[in-house]
Amino acid sequence: MSSAEPAAILDGAQSTLALLGAPLGYALLIASVVVFGLAVTRLRREWLRPALAVLGALLVFGEGLLVWFHWRLWEASALVDPRTGATTGRIFVAPWTESEKLYVWALILVAMTLLARRHAREMEPYLGGSVSALTVGAVLIGRPFTHPLPDFLASLKGYLAAQGSGNGPAWFAAFQQLDSMRRYYYDTWYMWVHPPLLFFCYGAFVVSFAAVVLMLRERRAAYETTAYRWARLGYLPLTIGMLLGFPWALMSWRGEAWWWSGKVDMSILLWLLYTAYLHGRLYLRREGMWKWVAVLAVLSFVALVLTYLTTYVVPGAHSVAG
Amino acid sequence: MPATPRRTWDFILMMLTVVLLAALGAQSLVGTLYVWWAQRTIAGWLQGPGYASYVALMNAFATPLVAGIVVVLGLCVPKRLFERRTLVAVSAGLVLLGVAWGVAGRSLQNGMAAYLTAAAGLQAVVAVLTVQRSGGLSYLTEGRGRHLGSALLHLGFIVFCLVVVALQDSALMLPVFGLSALLLGAGSAMSFYAKG
Repeated sequence: MSSAEPAAILDGAQSTLALLGAPLGYALLIASVVVFGLAVTRLRREWLRPALAVLGALLVFGEGLLVWFHWRLWEASALVDPRTGATTGRIFVAPWTESEKLYVWALILVAMTLLARRHAREMEPYLGGSVSALTVGAVLIGRPFTHPLPDFLASLKGYLAAQGSGNGPAWFAAFQQLDSMRRYYYDTWYMWVHPPLLFFCYGAFVVSFAAVVLMLRERRAAYETTAYRWARLGYLPLTIGMLLGFPWALMSWRGEAWWWSGKVDMSILLWLLYTAYLHGRLYLRREGMWKWVAVLAVLSFVALVLTYLTTYVVPGAHSVAG
Repeated sequence: MPATPRRTWDFILMMLTVVLLAALGAQSLVGTLYVWWAQRTIAGWLQGPGYASYVALMNAFATPLVAGIVVVLGLCVPKRLFERRTLVAVSAGLVLLGVAWGVAGRSLQNGMAAYLTAAAGLQAVVAVLTVQRSGGLSYLTEGRGRHLGSALLHLGFIVFCLVVVALQDSALMLPVFGLSALLLGAGSAMSFYAKG
């Protein structure tokens, strides 16, 4: 197969994604502003849930578009070993990679917001605000439709260009780089398990924090129970997701001091704090204990935000910061 | 009052665990902030000797903390099985085994591996006895599901520590790690979600 066909598939897919994604991005921004306005101003509160449903539907449509784009990338990414002429594999990039992380977080959170039953109405303004903020961040910072998967596409386009150039050494070098990424990153089982488990727990922890804020404002024990239930829901995927990252780290970052990567450290801190929060709650009936539990809940959530940001500001093995 | 010393021992172990984990957490946070600061202010810090020195210093600080966590984790095991006098003897025996193995092999890693293997064996006995509903096991929580969850969770942690300490470069790493992940997952689920 000549390289013209994959390159054409790639260009076509990227054009279609931008064509549909650009107006979708504006629609997501408008829906986010509406949801945020309804959440903050408390005017027309009865419209908040339908507005969240519209935002959720737009996010789902966008996710479908991204999955279609990834499927087209899979078609365009047949990696041919220049030495043998054999195809070593294709790459189906998981739909929570690079520019898509905030988007998936927003999608999971809007689903949880719409599915929550206990204290759903009271939590909606907080969760609506959070979903709006994540969606705006996903569209303006992540830019999954207009600037999709920048690192992966740069590598794939470089490989396709080298393949088409007829320059054997350049083709081989590009092949080696991308095929290595395929085997140790893009095409690995843990890419389909580790990130989604963590995004699920991130969503659950945001809902838990909304209930903690309500508890602190209203001083009602029932909100504390809601916060605990959501934290408990997020804790198991957090534990399993982090555990599954361990063999991945050993294989992918051999020779590097990955355990002192800021993201890894902050993730461990996050796990420790949620562990302390969930265990501290066992002693909730003791006098004054609820304050300590609330402090731990707030600190845990701060750690969650810092863990996410660390990826982008602190350099290290598990980081995209310079 | 035979329960009092055991609860005191439980409390001491719990406080030690909290202090060691908090220290490791604080070290991680300070280290992360330092990396963020150094990368911004020292040109070429990440590529130069500065980063290597940082890693060496962090490892040096963390080693006694990790060793302490391993020791406390092992000491948490026999408390479920034995009364006070036997508990002291078995705990001391576990520590002596680790020290002797470490000294004989001139390796802290070997000593910790031997200690963890013995602790894992004891914890497996605890788990089996919990499944069999044997009397005499001591738990702070109520309910058989939570007891079994706690037993599996501890066994999972011990096996995971064994992987970290001794099996990172072994062909057994993945299967043993998989076992620890299963035990930790099942243990967490039962500890937090079991009704009783």
